[in-house]
Amino acid sequence: MDTSRDASRSDRERDLLAHALVPVATEDDARKTAAALAPYGPARVTVLHVVEKGEGVPDKTPVEQSEQVAEDAFAAFRETFPDAEDHLEYRRDVVAGILDAADEVDASVVVFQPREGGRIVQFLSGDLSEKLIDEADRPVVALPREGGG
Amino acid sequence: MSAGDEELAKDLGPLAALTIGVGTMIGAGIFVLPGDAITDAGSFAVISFVLGGAIALLTAFSASELGTAMPRSGGAYYYVNRALGPLFGSVAGWANWLGLAFASAFYMVGFGQYIANILATYTGVSLYGGLGLGPLVLTGVKVVALVGGALFVAINYVGAKETGKLQNIIVVILVAILAVFTVVGSTRADPANLPAGKGIGPMLTTTGLIFVSYLGFVQITSVAEEIKEPGKNLPRAVIGSVVIVTAIYALVLVVMSAAVEQGFIADLPAGQIAVVEVGRLLLGPVGAIALLIGGLLATASSANASILASSRINFAMGRDRILSPEINEVHPNYGTPYRAIAITGALILVFIVAAPIETLATLGSVLHLVIYGLLNIALIVMREADVEGYEPSYTVPLYPITPILGCLLSFALIVFIAPLVIALGGVVVLGAMLWYLVYARSRTTEAGALTEYILERSEDLPKSAVSAATSVQPDGGEFRVMVPLANPRTEKTLITVASAVAKQRGGTVDAVHIVTVPDQTSLEYAANHLDDHEKDYHEVLDAAKRDAETFGVPIETHTIVSHQSFDGIFDAARRHKADLVVMGRGADAHGSPGRVESKIDELAMDLPSDFLVLDDRGFAPERILVPTAGGPDSELSAEIAALLRQEYGSEVTLLNVNDDVAAGEAFLEEWATERGLADAELRVESGDVETAIRNVASEHSMVIIGATERGLLSRLVRGSLVLDVVDEVDCPVMLAEKARPRGLLERLLGK
Repeated sequence: MDTSRDASRSDRERDLLAHALVPVATEDDARKTAAALAPYGPARVTVLHVVEKGEGVPDKTPVEQSEQVAEDAFAAFRETFPDAEDHLEYRRDVVAGILDAADEVDASVVVFQPREGGRIVQFLSGDLSEKLIDEADRPVVALPREGGG
Repeated sequence: MSAGDEELAKDLGPLAALTIGVGTMIGAGIFVLPGDAITDAGSFAVISFVLGGAIALLTAFSASELGTAMPRSGGAYYYVNRALGPLFGSVAGWANWLGLAFASAFYMVGFGQYIANILATYTGVSLYGGLGLGPLVLTGVKVVALVGGALFVAINYVGAKETGKLQNIIVVILVAILAVFTVVGSTRADPANLPAGKGIGPMLTTTGLIFVSYLGFVQITSVAEEIKEPGKNLPRAVIGSVVIVTAIYALVLVVMSAAVEQGFIADLPAGQIAVVEVGRLLLGPVGAIALLIGGLLATASSANASILASSRINFAMGRDRILSPEINEVHPNYGTPYRAIAITGALILVFIVAAPIETLATLGSVLHLVIYGLLNIALIVMREADVEGYEPSYTVPLYPITPILGCLLSFALIVFIAPLVIALGGVVVLGAMLWYLVYARSRTTEAGALTEYILERSEDLPKSAVSAATSVQPDGGEFRVMVPLANPRTEKTLITVASAVAKQRGGTVDAVHIVTVPDQTSLEYAANHLDDHEKDYHEVLDAAKRDAETFGVPIETHTIVSHQSFDGIFDAARRHKADLVVMGRGADAHGSPGRVESKIDELAMDLPSDFLVLDDRGFAPERILVPTAGGPDSELSAEIAALLRQEYGSEVTLLNVNDDVAAGEAFLEEWATERGLADAELRVESGDVETAIRNVASEHSMVIIGATERGLLSRLVRGSLVLDVVDEVDCPVMLAEKARPRGLLERLLGK
């Protein structure tokens, strides 16, 4: 156990994509993100979904539904990465959830695909790209969207 | 999901759960309705609120028990659907959904009244006039209600997060305002001010109107899955919120009646809000402002909580296929069930425009009273049917009195509501039933505990109950043909017949390989060591797949380990919801030799689906003979013959053995026409039935023969004609037997 951990640590120093943590939202998002990530051939992949919790108020989406969305997203992701591990977080603060998960699974990098949508949609849905980059304690890679961004 | 995740998903503490209930209820009860209630019922308005609270409390006990047993999304709908089946589930779901939409529309009109009041008092702008809007004339209040409603729907649509503690803060502020109001008011209260009660009739009618103030506690159950330690916190929140709001309502109503002179409230001009004007009198302008702000917060939080609750109901209904699951699609950016919210929002806006405020309130009341009645029945069913896995950590006190009383009072209160509103509520209920029968029945698959209970005891219960339960059972839509496979030799024949039927019915073949192990071997062990028992156990399923695929029929395969192969077949047929089971009969088709016939006996008495039993003489559909004397089982044989004819272009002959040839011909002609076999060859033979069948069969390639009402069992035991024929005829014989509910055998064996 210890030796393998040391090995992965030294790998990580050489290889950014030794263990990629990939946060995904929906089935569609998961499929697109997986397709965008595939060409870079990460050594190990953990796919993550953060269920947004109210933490004191009822959630905007029923929890059981969110969990179903997560399952669907994981399944879609595994179409491209059959061996991907999955990880589910429940958080009010999605970015904190991503960074905690990265810590927990000891990811070498967080890889994500920025969401589509205009400025207003991004504002309303709480665009997380900037916050993620600001607060990250490890490398963050943004994948290009299909046809450029 | 691990236990740890389970904990993380639950983040509503006891206070948060309580405030969902209190917050939803208090808005309507205090800030909108007391004026009307006192005007209509006089001092009995207090009794109306207490009575409403008592009825709600009875149901709150039931909701708590059901909630702790099943902390799932959807609350009341989920319990009713689970207990009473999808017919009533559909009623509860639609009633809950539309009831919440009516209530939300009502809250928003209340919200509009507060805004209008504030504008009129502090800016002099009047919104009370009518506004022409095409052919519609809307009051300013309703325009504000529409704008406010649209705003709350939009907030939920994009899923903007409330500050975590907002709901708690609002509720605490409301309770504080009302506490000051009550304490100050009570110092000025004078019993002489109390208006006379206006009698029991108006009091009960008023109870129907104000019952919309008691909808909130059930919304707690709809977020039960998010509550920490639901076994403890859910009953506290549900029951606690009803007790708290009932107490607050009663105190506020007493103060409002006793602290101001008689007639003060009844004489208020239109647009004046009773609780605000009483507040102005008691506490001066500051009091009025506090109550106005309180009213805005209260109505807004009620509407918001209702929209959230209704998306849970939509989700649960979609999961059970009572609504299209597409309604629950989650927005890619906002992460919200945007379609459900948009539809709910549209309903709310339409209701705001379409109906006066009292109608909205009473419609919300009626629909929730229907749900509450069903909820209490659901509890009784869950208890009496002794449903597996039903282990509530909270139990209703004084069972069964409490739920029976809760049910009766809920339904009884409906009677006192305006006839027009009852009629509209009836339209929703009938519409929901129709919706189930026309849309949802072919899609949903779970029968309720009640249906299972009735079907399991079909021999003991009145026929009408059984047939009612059977006739509304969900059919899941897809036609499934299950094929239990044990012997590789008969695999091809069975799969061929099953695929032909499935292809014609647009269904699926479900090939089940049943591995029989000795009683001494544990099933778990056997499942892990399948190779030891049957080395090539998957080969037969692989062959089945290939054979079904030649028909282009979808096929599923399963392996089941069982001590007795017939038990395995029956369990699988029930669990997989098979419509038809095609199985083999023969020396070694299933189980050990010598056991076969005794097992087929049991088969006859307890059929979870239609059965087609083939012998080991193969399958030759060129010229099919169907002997019939009427009855449900030969109907199945006719149906199968018709399907095979479509697939193989078979010639079909119908045979009736009758000494009166003319009568036999008349019977066959009618029988054939009714079953779509009008162009089949009709034969009537006289004499001994057995000989006649044997003779005619020799001219055919295959015989499909129906068991009779008495089933194969009695025929086998008495060694009567069917089985003799089956064994004496040279060509393949299929036995057809219709599904029939469990019965005699279970009773004999005491199962």
